[in-house]
Amino acid sequence: MNHPNVRTDELRPMTPVQVQQTREFVDTLASESQTYWDMVEVGQVLSRELHITPELVILYADAVEDFNPWYEGWRMNTWHIPGESPFGPAIVPPLLVSHFVLSVQFDHTKPFAIGSIHTYHDSEILEPIPVGARVRINARATEKFVKRERRYVRHEITVEDCASGLLYFRETRDILSR
Amino acid sequence: MHPTQPASAALVPITTDTPIGFTLIGVKKKAAIQLMGSRLWGRFNPNHWDPVYAAQTGLKAPIQTGEMSSAYIAEMCVNYLGANFFRRARIACKYVASTYANEVITTHGVVREKTPKGAGFRFKLEVWTDNEAGEIKTTGWVEADVGV
Repeated sequence: MNHPNVRTDELRPMTPVQVQQTREFVDTLASESQTYWDMVEVGQVLSRELHITPELVILYADAVEDFNPWYEGWRMNTWHIPGESPFGPAIVPPLLVSHFVLSVQFDHTKPFAIGSIHTYHDSEILEPIPVGARVRINARATEKFVKRERRYVRHEITVEDCASGLLYFRETRDILSR
Repeated sequence: MHPTQPASAALVPITTDTPIGFTLIGVKKKAAIQLMGSRLWGRFNPNHWDPVYAAQTGLKAPIQTGEMSSAYIAEMCVNYLGANFFRRARIACKYVASTYANEVITTHGVVREKTPKGAGFRFKLEVWTDNEAGEIKTTGWVEADVGV
Protein backbone atom coordinates (compact mmCIF):
# COMPACT_ATOMS: atom_id res chain seq x y z
CA MET A 1 0.00 0.00 0.00
CA ASN A 2 1.39 3.40 -0.94
CA HIS A 3 1.25 6.37 1.39
CA PRO A 4 1.62 9.35 -0.94
CA ASN A 5 1.75 11.80 1.96
CA VAL A 6 4.77 10.16 3.53
CA ARG A 7 8.15 11.18 2.12
CA THR A 8 11.40 9.26 2.33
CA ASP A 9 13.22 12.46 3.29
CA GLU A 10 10.77 13.81 5.85
CA LEU A 11 12.96 13.02 8.85
CA ARG A 12 16.36 13.84 7.39
CA PRO A 13 17.55 15.88 4.45
CA MET A 14 18.18 13.98 1.20
CA THR A 15 18.80 14.77 -2.44
CA PRO A 16 16.76 12.95 -5.10
CA VAL A 17 19.71 10.59 -5.58
CA GLN A 18 19.67 9.60 -1.91
CA VAL A 19 15.90 9.11 -2.01
CA GLN A 20 16.25 6.83 -5.02
CA GLN A 21 19.04 4.83 -3.36
CA THR A 22 16.96 4.48 -0.21
CA ARG A 23 13.88 3.26 -2.05
CA GLU A 24 15.95 0.74 -3.99
CA PHE A 25 17.53 -0.56 -0.78
CA VAL A 26 14.20 -0.93 1.03
CA ASP A 27 12.61 -2.62 -1.99
CA THR A 28 15.44 -5.16 -1.98
CA LEU A 29 14.92 -5.92 1.72
CA ALA A 30 11.14 -6.21 1.37
CA SER A 31 11.13 -8.40 -1.72
CA GLU A 32 13.46 -11.00 -0.28
CA SER A 33 12.13 -11.50 3.23
CA GLN A 34 9.80 -14.08 4.78
CA THR A 35 7.88 -13.42 7.99
CA TYR A 36 9.63 -14.24 11.23
CA TRP A 37 6.80 -16.62 12.08
CA ASP A 38 7.53 -18.64 8.95
CA MET A 39 11.31 -18.54 9.32
CA VAL A 40 11.40 -20.12 12.78
CA GLU A 41 10.38 -23.63 13.85
CA VAL A 42 9.72 -24.43 17.52
CA GLY A 43 12.55 -26.59 18.81
CA GLN A 44 15.02 -25.13 16.36
CA VAL A 45 18.44 -24.56 17.93
CA LEU A 46 20.88 -22.16 16.31
CA SER A 47 24.30 -21.10 17.48
CA ARG A 48 26.91 -18.62 16.33
CA GLU A 49 30.21 -17.28 17.51
CA LEU A 50 30.72 -13.55 17.95
CA HIS A 51 34.05 -11.80 18.39
CA ILE A 52 33.33 -8.73 20.50
CA THR A 53 36.00 -6.46 19.17
CA PRO A 54 36.72 -3.05 20.70
CA GLU A 55 35.38 -1.38 17.56
CA LEU A 56 32.12 -3.33 17.77
CA VAL A 57 31.64 -2.12 21.32
CA ILE A 58 32.23 1.49 20.26
CA LEU A 59 29.72 1.17 17.42
CA TYR A 60 27.13 -0.19 19.83
CA ALA A 61 27.73 2.31 22.63
CA ASP A 62 28.01 5.41 20.44
CA ALA A 63 24.57 4.82 18.91
CA VAL A 64 22.96 4.82 22.35
CA GLU A 65 25.22 7.67 23.48
CA ASP A 66 26.66 5.69 26.35
CA PHE A 67 30.15 7.04 26.88
CA ASN A 68 31.11 5.08 29.99
CA PRO A 69 34.93 4.70 29.84
CA TRP A 70 34.66 1.14 31.18
CA TYR A 71 33.66 0.06 27.66
CA GLU A 72 36.62 1.63 25.85
CA GLY A 73 39.04 -0.86 24.39
CA TRP A 74 39.48 1.57 21.52
CA ARG A 75 40.05 5.28 21.80
CA MET A 76 40.54 7.84 19.05
CA ASN A 77 44.20 8.76 18.44
CA THR A 78 45.47 5.96 20.72
CA TRP A 79 43.36 3.21 19.04
CA HIS A 80 43.57 -0.18 20.75
CA ILE A 81 43.96 0.08 24.52
CA PRO A 82 43.41 -2.43 27.34
CA GLY A 83 40.99 -0.05 28.98
CA GLU A 84 39.96 0.05 32.62
CA SER A 85 36.94 -1.16 34.53
CA PRO A 86 36.21 -2.45 38.04
CA PHE A 87 37.06 -5.89 36.67
CA GLY A 88 40.44 -4.93 35.20
CA PRO A 89 40.47 -4.25 31.44
CA ALA A 90 37.55 -2.84 29.49
CA ILE A 91 34.24 -4.70 29.63
CA VAL A 92 31.28 -5.01 27.31
CA PRO A 93 28.09 -2.96 28.00
CA PRO A 94 25.67 -5.13 30.00
CA LEU A 95 23.11 -5.67 27.22
CA LEU A 96 25.36 -5.67 24.16
CA VAL A 97 25.12 -9.40 23.60
CA SER A 98 21.33 -9.19 23.86
CA HIS A 99 21.36 -6.99 20.78
CA PHE A 100 23.26 -9.59 18.77
CA VAL A 101 20.94 -12.42 19.75
CA LEU A 102 18.64 -11.34 16.95
CA SER A 103 21.26 -12.46 14.43
CA VAL A 104 21.14 -15.98 15.87
CA GLN A 105 17.38 -16.45 16.22
CA PHE A 106 16.85 -17.31 12.56
CA ASP A 107 18.85 -18.65 9.65
CA HIS A 108 21.08 -15.63 9.09
CA THR A 109 22.01 -16.81 5.60
CA LYS A 110 18.46 -15.87 4.57
CA PRO A 111 17.23 -12.27 4.30
CA PHE A 112 16.11 -10.73 7.58
CA ALA A 113 12.37 -10.86 8.37
CA ILE A 114 11.78 -7.13 8.14
CA GLY A 115 8.71 -5.78 9.82
CA SER A 116 9.18 -7.90 12.94
CA ILE A 117 9.43 -6.14 16.31
CA HIS A 118 11.20 -7.10 19.53
CA THR A 119 8.65 -6.81 22.38
CA TYR A 120 10.12 -8.31 25.56
CA HIS A 121 13.26 -9.63 27.20
CA ASP A 122 14.14 -11.08 30.58
CA SER A 123 17.92 -11.08 30.81
CA GLU A 124 20.35 -12.40 33.40
CA ILE A 125 23.74 -10.72 33.39
CA LEU A 126 25.81 -13.41 35.07
CA GLU A 127 29.43 -12.36 34.57
CA PRO A 128 31.20 -9.34 33.02
CA ILE A 129 32.38 -9.93 29.45
CA PRO A 130 35.83 -8.59 28.63
CA VAL A 131 36.18 -6.54 25.47
CA GLY A 132 37.85 -8.77 22.89
CA ALA A 133 36.10 -11.92 24.07
CA ARG A 134 34.83 -14.53 21.65
CA VAL A 135 31.41 -15.68 22.77
CA ARG A 136 29.00 -18.31 21.54
CA ILE A 137 25.35 -17.28 21.34
CA ASN A 138 22.92 -20.20 21.50
CA ALA A 139 19.25 -19.64 20.63
CA ARG A 140 16.45 -22.18 21.06
CA ALA A 141 12.99 -21.44 19.72
CA THR A 142 10.65 -22.54 22.51
CA GLU A 143 7.21 -21.28 21.60
CA LYS A 144 5.02 -19.65 19.00
CA PHE A 145 1.89 -18.01 20.33
CA VAL A 146 -0.88 -15.65 19.31
CA LYS A 147 -1.94 -12.89 21.69
CA ARG A 148 -4.58 -10.30 20.79
CA GLU A 149 -4.41 -11.50 17.19
CA ARG A 150 -0.68 -10.89 17.01
CA ARG A 151 1.90 -13.61 16.35
CA TYR A 152 4.90 -13.98 18.66
CA VAL A 153 7.97 -16.21 18.68
CA ARG A 154 9.78 -16.90 21.97
CA HIS A 155 13.45 -17.91 22.31
CA GLU A 156 15.67 -19.02 25.17
CA ILE A 157 19.23 -17.74 24.88
CA THR A 158 22.59 -18.50 26.42
CA VAL A 159 25.88 -16.72 25.82
CA GLU A 160 29.11 -18.39 26.87
CA ASP A 161 32.82 -17.82 26.45
CA CYS A 162 34.18 -19.80 23.52
CA ALA A 163 37.45 -20.63 25.26
CA SER A 164 36.45 -21.27 28.87
CA GLY A 165 32.78 -22.11 28.53
CA LEU A 166 31.95 -19.53 31.22
CA LEU A 167 28.25 -18.67 31.07
CA TYR A 168 28.01 -14.90 30.73
CA PHE A 169 24.38 -14.27 29.94
CA ARG A 170 20.96 -15.89 29.74
CA GLU A 171 17.76 -14.50 28.27
CA THR A 172 14.14 -15.15 27.35
CA ARG A 173 12.87 -12.92 24.55
CA ASP A 174 9.82 -12.42 22.37
CA ILE A 175 9.59 -11.18 18.80
CA LEU A 176 6.35 -9.96 17.24
CA SER A 177 6.13 -11.26 13.69
CA ARG A 178 4.42 -9.62 10.74
CA MET B 1 6.15 6.44 39.17
CA HIS B 2 6.84 9.86 40.69
CA PRO B 3 10.50 10.86 40.65
CA THR B 4 11.31 12.70 43.85
CA GLN B 5 14.92 13.74 43.34
CA PRO B 6 15.56 17.21 41.89
CA ALA B 7 17.31 17.30 38.52
CA SER B 8 20.31 18.97 40.11
CA ALA B 9 20.89 16.25 42.70
CA ALA B 10 24.27 14.55 42.57
CA LEU B 11 24.39 10.91 41.59
CA VAL B 12 24.32 8.86 44.81
CA PRO B 13 25.14 5.20 44.06
CA ILE B 14 22.98 2.47 45.57
CA THR B 15 24.61 0.97 48.64
CA THR B 16 23.43 -1.39 51.35
CA ASP B 17 22.06 1.69 53.17
CA THR B 18 19.86 2.80 50.26
CA PRO B 19 16.21 2.70 51.36
CA ILE B 20 13.18 1.31 49.56
CA GLY B 21 11.59 4.17 47.65
CA PHE B 22 14.91 5.67 46.56
CA THR B 23 14.44 7.28 43.18
CA LEU B 24 17.12 7.16 40.51
CA ILE B 25 17.79 10.10 38.24
CA GLY B 26 17.57 8.65 34.76
CA VAL B 27 19.15 9.49 31.44
CA LYS B 28 17.46 11.46 28.68
CA LYS B 29 17.94 10.66 24.97
CA LYS B 30 16.48 11.76 21.69
CA ALA B 31 15.40 9.05 19.26
CA ALA B 32 17.56 10.37 16.44
CA ILE B 33 16.76 8.82 13.07
CA GLN B 34 20.44 8.68 12.11
CA LEU B 35 21.23 6.55 15.16
CA MET B 36 18.10 4.40 14.83
CA GLY B 37 19.11 3.51 11.28
CA SER B 38 22.80 2.94 11.89
CA ARG B 39 24.19 -0.33 10.57
CA LEU B 40 24.73 -1.99 13.92
CA TRP B 41 21.24 -1.05 15.15
CA GLY B 42 18.29 -0.78 12.81
CA ARG B 43 19.58 -0.55 9.24
CA PHE B 44 18.51 -4.12 8.39
CA ASN B 45 14.87 -3.35 9.28
CA PRO B 46 13.38 -0.24 7.61
CA ASN B 47 10.70 0.00 10.29
CA HIS B 48 13.47 1.60 12.33
CA TRP B 49 14.43 4.38 9.92
CA ASP B 50 12.30 4.65 6.77
CA PRO B 51 9.09 6.73 7.09
CA VAL B 52 7.61 5.21 3.94
CA TYR B 53 8.08 1.57 4.97
CA ALA B 54 6.95 2.34 8.52
CA ALA B 55 3.72 3.84 7.17
CA GLN B 56 3.14 0.77 5.02
CA THR B 57 3.27 -1.40 8.14
CA GLY B 58 0.83 0.83 10.02
CA LEU B 59 3.29 2.90 12.05
CA LYS B 60 2.94 6.68 12.22
CA ALA B 61 6.74 7.04 12.07
CA PRO B 62 9.86 4.86 12.23
CA ILE B 63 10.26 3.26 15.64
CA GLN B 64 13.39 2.83 17.65
CA THR B 65 14.52 -0.73 18.39
CA GLY B 66 13.38 -1.65 21.87
CA GLU B 67 16.93 -2.64 22.67
CA MET B 68 17.94 1.01 22.53
CA SER B 69 15.51 1.74 25.37
CA SER B 70 16.88 -1.22 27.29
CA ALA B 71 20.39 0.15 26.75
CA TYR B 72 19.27 3.51 28.16
CA ILE B 73 17.84 1.78 31.22
CA ALA B 74 21.03 -0.25 31.58
CA GLU B 75 23.09 2.96 31.46
CA MET B 76 21.02 4.34 34.35
CA CYS B 77 21.50 1.09 36.26
CA VAL B 78 25.28 1.15 35.77
CA ASN B 79 25.30 4.73 37.05
CA TYR B 80 23.68 3.61 40.31
CA LEU B 81 24.73 -0.02 40.70
CA GLY B 82 28.20 0.15 39.14
CA ALA B 83 30.02 -3.19 39.05
CA ASN B 84 27.05 -4.85 40.77
CA PHE B 85 25.11 -4.66 37.52
CA PHE B 86 27.61 -6.91 35.73
CA ARG B 87 27.39 -10.02 37.92
CA ARG B 88 24.27 -11.95 39.02
CA ALA B 89 22.03 -9.10 37.86
CA ARG B 90 18.75 -9.36 36.01
CA ILE B 91 16.78 -6.97 33.85
CA ALA B 92 13.40 -7.50 32.24
CA CYS B 93 11.85 -5.00 29.86
CA LYS B 94 8.53 -4.97 28.06
CA TYR B 95 8.13 -2.56 25.18
CA VAL B 96 4.55 -1.47 25.83
CA ALA B 97 4.45 1.35 23.28
CA SER B 98 6.59 2.33 20.33
CA THR B 99 9.28 4.97 20.61
CA TYR B 100 9.00 7.13 17.51
CA ALA B 101 11.70 9.07 15.73
CA ASN B 102 12.44 12.43 17.34
CA GLU B 103 10.79 11.59 20.65
CA VAL B 104 12.79 12.45 23.76
CA ILE B 105 12.95 9.48 26.09
CA THR B 106 13.74 9.60 29.80
CA THR B 107 14.51 6.57 31.94
CA HIS B 108 13.23 6.21 35.47
CA GLY B 109 13.87 3.86 38.36
CA VAL B 110 12.70 3.37 41.93
CA VAL B 111 13.96 0.90 44.52
CA ARG B 112 10.96 -1.30 45.33
CA GLU B 113 12.41 -4.21 47.31
CA LYS B 114 15.50 -4.93 49.36
CA THR B 115 15.98 -8.52 50.46
CA PRO B 116 18.81 -9.56 52.83
CA LYS B 117 21.35 -11.75 51.06
CA GLY B 118 24.76 -12.74 52.43
CA ALA B 119 26.44 -9.67 53.87
CA GLY B 120 24.27 -7.34 51.81
CA PHE B 121 20.99 -7.16 49.93
CA ARG B 122 19.32 -8.18 46.72
CA PHE B 123 17.75 -4.97 45.40
CA LYS B 124 14.75 -4.90 43.10
CA LEU B 125 14.03 -1.77 41.10
CA GLU B 126 11.04 -0.81 39.04
CA VAL B 127 12.25 0.79 35.81
CA TRP B 128 10.52 2.46 32.90
CA THR B 129 10.88 4.99 30.13
CA ASP B 130 8.53 7.71 29.01
CA ASN B 131 8.40 10.50 26.47
CA GLU B 132 8.03 14.23 27.02
CA ALA B 133 4.25 13.86 27.31
CA GLY B 134 4.69 11.31 30.08
CA GLU B 135 3.51 8.42 27.91
CA ILE B 136 5.03 5.16 29.13
CA LYS B 137 7.08 3.34 26.48
CA THR B 138 8.96 0.62 28.32
CA THR B 139 8.26 -1.03 31.67
CA GLY B 140 10.35 -3.46 33.58
CA TRP B 141 12.35 -4.35 36.62
CA VAL B 142 15.95 -4.89 37.61
CA GLU B 143 17.58 -7.01 40.31
CA ALA B 144 21.14 -6.78 41.56
CA ASP B 145 23.17 -7.80 44.59
CA VAL B 146 24.77 -5.02 46.63
CA GLY B 147 27.33 -5.75 49.32
CA VAL B 148 26.77 -9.49 49.06
